[in-house]
Formats: sequence, structure tokens, C-alpha cells
Amino acid sequence: MQLTVKIQRFDPEKDSAPHWESYQVEADPMDRALDLLHYIKWHVDGSLTFRKSCAHGICGSDAMQINGENKLACSVLVQGLAKDGGTISFAPLPAAPVIKDLVIDQERFFDKYRAVMPWLITDDPAPEKERLQSPEQHAVIEEATKCILCGACTHACPSTWADPDYLGPAAMLKAYRYVFDSRDSEAEERLKVVDSKDGLWKCYTIFNCVQSCPKGIDVTRWLSALKRKAVTTRY
Amino acid sequence: MATTVQDVSPKPVLRYRIRTGMFAWMLHRLTGLALVGYLIVHVWGLKAMTDPDAYNYLITKYHGPLFKIGEFLLLGAVIYHALNGLRIVLIDFVGWSPNQKKLFWTLGAVAAVLFAVGGYPSIAALLDYLGS
Repeated sequence: MQLTVKIQRFDPEKDSAPHWESYQVEADPMDRALDLLHYIKWHVDGSLTFRKSCAHGICGSDAMQINGENKLACSVLVQGLAKDGGTISFAPLPAAPVIKDLVIDQERFFDKYRAVMPWLITDDPAPEKERLQSPEQHAVIEEATKCILCGACTHACPSTWADPDYLGPAAMLKAYRYVFDSRDSEAEERLKVVDSKDGLWKCYTIFNCVQSCPKGIDVTRWLSALKRKAVTTRY
Repeated sequence: MATTVQDVSPKPVLRYRIRTGMFAWMLHRLTGLALVGYLIVHVWGLKAMTDPDAYNYLITKYHGPLFKIGEFLLLGAVIYHALNGLRIVLIDFVGWSPNQKKLFWTLGAVAAVLFAVGGYPSIAALLDYLGS
């Protein structure tokens, strides 16, 4: 099938603002969106810049705005994005500084991630082997552990667009993952971080995070659970 | 490669694809602002209650066709804002997120019924006005 691929380009050495460029690409319906970018980089314009590592939806490197929605370029097929003769557009994740073309500066995203202390905190002495959890205890956090930190959700959230300091769904999902972890004992500190003016209460249940998550995580559901936890334990 | 980092992306809200959840939120904001605007006009109108003549004059004006259309819009805004507010409460404090789209369309149907029943007097009055 014949496609027009529109890409938002930005070279900080030459451009003062991003601009769109179009490329004609012959593609197979079963190609991934990432294959289109590879084709252009390898055969048309080697200066095209984008992030990707594993190309199999595990590393979370190639989250970008595809056809107006945040997606992982390696996890969506061309046939789901356009018909023969159609157009597919690629832009960097919104509301983040652009380094070049489709590459954003992730520093702010990971600052927020670190703010919720995304590691196990416990006073219990280390056991001989691993810290055990029953299947029931794990079920509570299982879906939240599937986050690959691609940033699609946080950069899809209108609250992030309006307030760059808003913690965002990814960081708060991680807070949920530890607050509800049976082995963790620092829920109080984490709740203090998310129960703030830049935290939970700027989630207006818009569902863009759920819509954009390439792992199908119902982010809003877990953030709501975190809201209830904050209300019942802190007030 | 240069490491210049700039905040250059255009306004995302204008470029992002609008799905049910975001549409519901935008409409909630819009009706919320409209209702605040209405309240200001409403309270300002009540000021006339201190003077019988001014009050009667205002009430006659409120029976005009433009205000009937306005009543219709007001009813729509109130119903939407109230039901969507209920939807958000159910999502946040009862945990109904997985059903958010179904919830949106179900409450949409409830809204349509309320709108039809509640809006009938306004429509009838408007048709009456157009017929005479």
C-alpha cells in the first residue's frame, strides 16, 4: 500500500521552530509504524532522529504522537492507522522539550518518577531468599507493575499540558504500585508526595492516559484507588 | 550533535485526538463556565426585585423567544454538568473506571430523557410564540 508519512522535523542547529515534512512510502499493511520511520531513515533521509531500542514493546523508547495520539511506534500496525493512499503523521510526545525531530528531553518525566520513591522501602530485615507475596497480594498491583515508563500517558494528559509540574499518571501509577505493595512500609511518605497540589487532585478522570497506554493499563482506575487511599488515611 | 533543548512543541490540546473521556471533560469545563456566567446574570436580574415595575418589565422580557432558547440551553448545561459530575464521583470514589465509556453513554441516555421532559414547556412556549 502507498502511504504519505508526515513527520514533524526539528533540527536545533538549523530550525527555530518545528515543521512538517512529507514522505511517500510503499508499505505492507502488516508493517509496524516504526518500520516506516526505519525506511525513511535508512533509504530517504538519514538525518531523521527518533528513539528506539528493542522494537518489541518492552523498552518503552519509541513512544510518540502518531495520528494525533500517543502510541508506541513498534506496537501499532500500519493497517490500523491508515488505508491505502492514506496519511500517517508522526510528532514527538506533546508538552515536552524537543531535542531533535521525534526525540524529547525526558528529564522532567524522570524527575517526577523519582519524586514518588519508586523502590521498595521496608524496615523488615532482609530474608535469606526473596520477600514473598501471596498471589492475592500480588493481584492488587499486578497490572500496575506492567508499566514500561514510555511516557505516553503522562504526555497525553491535559493536566500535564497545563501544568508542567503535575506529577502525571506514570509517576502516580508507580506510587500506587508501592503504596499497595504488601511488602512496602513507606506508604505514608509516598501519599504525602501525591496528595499535593501537583498530584492526585489534578487528575480529572479524562482517560487520555488509559487510551494511550500501550500496555493496556487502566491507569485512571489505579489513580482513583490511590485517591481513596489518600482520603481515608490522611484526612 | 548539539544539545540545545527547547520547548518548541505547539499547543497539544489543539492537536490531540479527542475521545470520549476528553470530550466529556471539555464539555464539563464549558458547561461549568457557562453556568457561572448564567449565575452572575441571574443574580444581577434579581436585583430588580426591589422595584415592582422594574421586576415586571424584566419578567415580561424573560418570556421572549430568545430567553426560551436560553432556558433550553441552561437546562442542557445543568443536566450535563450534574450527570457528568455524578459520573466522575462514581469513577473516583466508587471505582467504576473500567466502565467509564458505558457510564458516559448510559448517563447520556438519561440526560436525553430529562432534557426531553424538562425542555418540553420551553419548546411548547417557543412554538406557541412562533405560531401566533
